[in-house]
Amino acid sequence: MPEKTVNNSSRSVIRKKPESTFTRVARYTLVRGITLFLTVVVGVFLTIIIANMGGYVDEIRKGEIQETYQQAAILNPAIRNLPPEERNKWVEDQIRLAYKRYGLDQPFLVRAVIYLRNALTLDLGRSLNMTSDTGSRQVRLIILERIPPTLILFGTSGFLLFFVELFFALYLSRRYGSFWDKVVVTLAPMNAAPGWFYGIFLILIFAAILKILPFGGMVDAPPPPRWSFAYFVSLLKHMILPIMAIAASQLVLSVYSWRTFFLIYSSEDYVEMAKAKGLTSRAIEQRYVLRPTLPTIITSFAFLLIGIWTGAPIFETVFNWPGLGRQIYQAIGLFDVPVIVGETVIFSYLLAITLFLLDFVYALVDPRVRVGGQGGAQG
Amino acid sequence: MVSSANHKLLRVENLVLHFRTTVGTVQAVDGIDFELDSNRAVVILGESGCGKTSLAKAILRLLPRNVEKYTGKVYLNGVDIMALNDEEFRQNIRWVGISLVPQAAMNSLNPVIRVGDQVAEPAIVHLGIKKAEAWNLAKQMFQHVGVPEDFLYRYPFELSGGMRQRVAIAMALVTSPSLIVLDEPTSALDLLTQANIFNVLKRIKKELGTSFILITHDIATSSELADEVAIMYAGQIVEVGHAKDFFPKPLHPYAEMLMASVPRLRQDQDPEFIVGQPPSLINLPTSCRFAPRCPKRFSKCDQDPPMIEKDGRKVKCWLYA
Repeated sequence: MPEKTVNNSSRSVIRKKPESTFTRVARYTLVRGITLFLTVVVGVFLTIIIANMGGYVDEIRKGEIQETYQQAAILNPAIRNLPPEERNKWVEDQIRLAYKRYGLDQPFLVRAVIYLRNALTLDLGRSLNMTSDTGSRQVRLIILERIPPTLILFGTSGFLLFFVELFFALYLSRRYGSFWDKVVVTLAPMNAAPGWFYGIFLILIFAAILKILPFGGMVDAPPPPRWSFAYFVSLLKHMILPIMAIAASQLVLSVYSWRTFFLIYSSEDYVEMAKAKGLTSRAIEQRYVLRPTLPTIITSFAFLLIGIWTGAPIFETVFNWPGLGRQIYQAIGLFDVPVIVGETVIFSYLLAITLFLLDFVYALVDPRVRVGGQGGAQG
Repeated sequence: MVSSANHKLLRVENLVLHFRTTVGTVQAVDGIDFELDSNRAVVILGESGCGKTSLAKAILRLLPRNVEKYTGKVYLNGVDIMALNDEEFRQNIRWVGISLVPQAAMNSLNPVIRVGDQVAEPAIVHLGIKKAEAWNLAKQMFQHVGVPEDFLYRYPFELSGGMRQRVAIAMALVTSPSLIVLDEPTSALDLLTQANIFNVLKRIKKELGTSFILITHDIATSSELADEVAIMYAGQIVEVGHAKDFFPKPLHPYAEMLMASVPRLRQDQDPEFIVGQPPSLINLPTSCRFAPRCPKRFSKCDQDPPMIEKDGRKVKCWLYA
């Protein structure tokens, strides 16, 4: 190739300097953040419309209010004895005031937008029956104090599972066909039963029979002082069984499928090239098998996490874990609608945040992920 | 283990690579002998499925799991590299002695690592130099193969097919090995890019004194680079000779028919084709392996012919006995 052509093409390319990893990830994150927020907005708005039956619930409430004050007018002797015009005027005044008090004088769409704003800013109203530990009826307070236990349990187990599974899957992909590989393949159907199912048996074995681990709850009763070492130890002790239960249900299948991903990716041409290049097997595994597989692994892990989130109500109830899941279970039992709606909003936020974090990690590990269709020259 | 006999760069003796499958043993490489001087290029020609790529893998020790038999001697600069253990082989032979330009350069680059890093990687591992120096080396190699320097910062998916193939060649050059195995380096590319790549290879051979083993089925383009030709059929080499002797007049009937199948400019008759299919490499006959398709077969062909020397060329055919 003549030198001149090389110079020309290099000059034309320098103009379009490849963007740095930072700007790429930052732009991607921003766009994904906005999209996910819009998704949450639409989701919550639809929930509000559906929960209000498109405004029909307002009609029902108006009817209830009218009936209440007409009854009140009849039952109250001071009003019953007024002349009909004055009595009707009193009833209409009361109804108008009640409409205004409940905001029913405004059209439903306006009110739906107000509901939306309140929900998104976590102004979740007051509960019907439930109270927070501090005795408040603010739904926001009731829910907020339940978030840390849930995050501690599922955060820790997710984090632990991810690395244990990754390590174990890599190990098995190196020893394809070995005894442990066969064990994992055989046990893969364990995923068919949910975590709480294994939880029941684990509680039976370790708490009821062996009496070495607690039945449930988050810390011993009475609880050790907060932020002390004893509190931490007690928390760890109470987390062993729940994490074992999640692992029993999720670990084997994940290891099985990830080990298969690794095997598939190990047969790529670039892995053989890396071997021909004389890289150490450790470098090949890290840079040529693990790195390109990570996006796939992270996607599969995202599904796993979302699955665990949705199973939280029953799981936390079985382990008596004072988290969001058990609370929504209680709220459903008590027909406490504001709490149920509030939990739905919080769950959608948590789901969106999970997805957002995963998207962020995805953009970090895979340079092919970009905003818009600027994939570059394809051969 | 220095072999006293010669100063050949590469000498392959009775190299065998058999694979185990559920239907039997695949005799992909079945007793190959050939030699190569430094700054020479040998082209190994043959149909698909004749064991060309397996030969490359056997020389480079890139073996799949189902290897049944892997024997023979491969001398590189007089050292029997088959006798080295895996770690010695990795440190002293891989990319230092022999490097590879793979069949499908499209898939031979890691999609999530910048090409500059991938080109510099062998230099860091084998030459023990810092990353910055290795990148400088990579830049020089990019100049050799005619890729703009700032492509170092790109990811493989941002390059065209021809560019990726050049990057693969740059990668093979970065540790200045004495021998490069090119496994069908241009099969997936268009004619213009093929010609470009071969120009690059010719220039590298002249400037850097590298030797090539070029594995291909593309007779026309390979003739530009080849000093020597080896024809492979059913896991064996059936003819070896200098390119200047071979291309005008091949000796082995298979080689003759192979050459006759290449279309030429201003040719009166249609290109010929070879009747039948190459044999399956499982349960090979004890006769000459080409006999079932050979138009010149005679009674002797029921036995496997030896390598026969004729005018400084070697041919595995009873016709020249």
